Amino acid sequence: MDMSPDSWILYEWQGWRLNATIVFTWAVMALLVLGSWAVTTRLSEGETVSRWQVLLEVVVSTIRDQIEEVGTDDPGRYLPFIGTLFLFIATANLLAVVPVYEPPTGSLSTTAALAICVLIAVPLFSIGERGLGSYLRTYLQPTPLMLPFNLVGEFSRTIALAVRLYGNVMSGTVIVGILISVAPFFFPVVMQLLGLLTGLIQAYIFAILAMVYIGSASRSRRASESPAASQQSTETGE
Amino acid sequence: MQIDWLTVAAQVVNFLVLVWLLQRFLYRPITSAMARREERIETRLSEAKAARDKVEAEASRLREQQQALEASREEMLSEARQEADALRARLEDDIREEMEAKRSQWQAHLEDEREAFAARLRQRAGHQVIDIVGRVLEDYAGSDLAGQVAGTFADRLAALDADEREKLSAAASRAKGPARVESSVALKPAVRGQVTRAIHECIAQDIEVEYGEDDELLLGIRLTIGEQTVEWSAARFLHRLETTLDEVIQGSGRRPGGAPAAA
Repeated sequence: MDMSPDSWILYEWQGWRLNATIVFTWAVMALLVLGSWAVTTRLSEGETVSRWQVLLEVVVSTIRDQIEEVGTDDPGRYLPFIGTLFLFIATANLLAVVPVYEPPTGSLSTTAALAICVLIAVPLFSIGERGLGSYLRTYLQPTPLMLPFNLVGEFSRTIALAVRLYGNVMSGTVIVGILISVAPFFFPVVMQLLGLLTGLIQAYIFAILAMVYIGSASRSRRASESPAASQQSTETGE
Repeated sequence: MQIDWLTVAAQVVNFLVLVWLLQRFLYRPITSAMARREERIETRLSEAKAARDKVEAEASRLREQQQALEASREEMLSEARQEADALRARLEDDIREEMEAKRSQWQAHLEDEREAFAARLRQRAGHQVIDIVGRVLEDYAGSDLAGQVAGTFADRLAALDADEREKLSAAASRAKGPARVESSVALKPAVRGQVTRAIHECIAQDIEVEYGEDDELLLGIRLTIGEQTVEWSAARFLHRLETTLDEVIQGSGRRPGGAPAAA
């Protein structure tokens, strides 16, 4: 049973294949961008604010607060990256109620791409904040012997992030498929509702974990600058 | 369940494009709008605070002013009250004095009235008594009262003691004018002759006698020779009676409710 939208080819031209993952990703992107554009072209700064603007303001300020709670000084710096992760994953998962639609997050390619983005973003943010040399030295701490373990930890973290999102979204689809073949209509509906909840939770977890990774990288620098500060755990389980 | 690396690359690109688009269309406008609104709210709040401070300062100033006004009003009221009290006391004194003066004036007036009334009463009563007595005498004694009086007067002259007679004679010899006999009513010629005779016999032989009338005598005769006067009249009796009456009345007035003084 192959349920990955990668294998659903919608268009093929001279060996280039346009699969459902890409197309639905574009759909989600178009929805997000057009929706934002429609609201932000008529932004109000007065007392009366449209309900859609209120919605967007609440979403943006909530994401900022969450980023701040993880422990960063400047949430505006991470807002585009973390916010987009959350909004994209949440929208992609919530649209699962639309018939015919297959969530692109149900494809391991998408989750891997997002995880790779996080993998690259962590050192980029860290280097941007402290400089290349300082960043590279963290792999030799507390002793150069730890270099291989640090590298393995970095990659395993990325893979875990990708597989966690993929597994959770994919599992929903797989469970619905199995229940449709086993039980009549009622259970798939309940599972579909549950899928909406888990989809939202996954979006939250993915974004928060990405922020925790980025934040821990910058915190380890602050900890090395002030030895009294306690080293915080960088691993957060589900 | 394989990873399609072409799709992965495409998704990475898609994600980065989405980040840029959302930064362009969502995060930047929303955050800047929120920041501007917050800034404006901040400005308004500070303006409102400034305005409130100003109003509170104004209110406290007004309150102090009002208290000062209140205090000065109290002061003015107490001053006015004192002035009014003083004025009232002065007016009361004035009125009391005026009333006192009017009362004493009224009392004096009353006294005058009383005296005038008493005089009138005395005169009228005397006249009445004389009238009645005269009429009674005329009716019952067969002669007019004036004649009787003149007769009595002549008798009195004859009965004068030597001292009196001497004084009258001396006065008659010093006097240049005649002796004047006044009576309350005109005397008849016979009576006049009787009186003239009595004068010639008792006082002086050659003295001239003229007759006149005087209402005040009521009843009786007055003989005036020079500075000497002999009078026998009801007025005198009445005057004496009045004096006695006054003494009795005043004595009983002084002792109200007490026993009358012995006559």
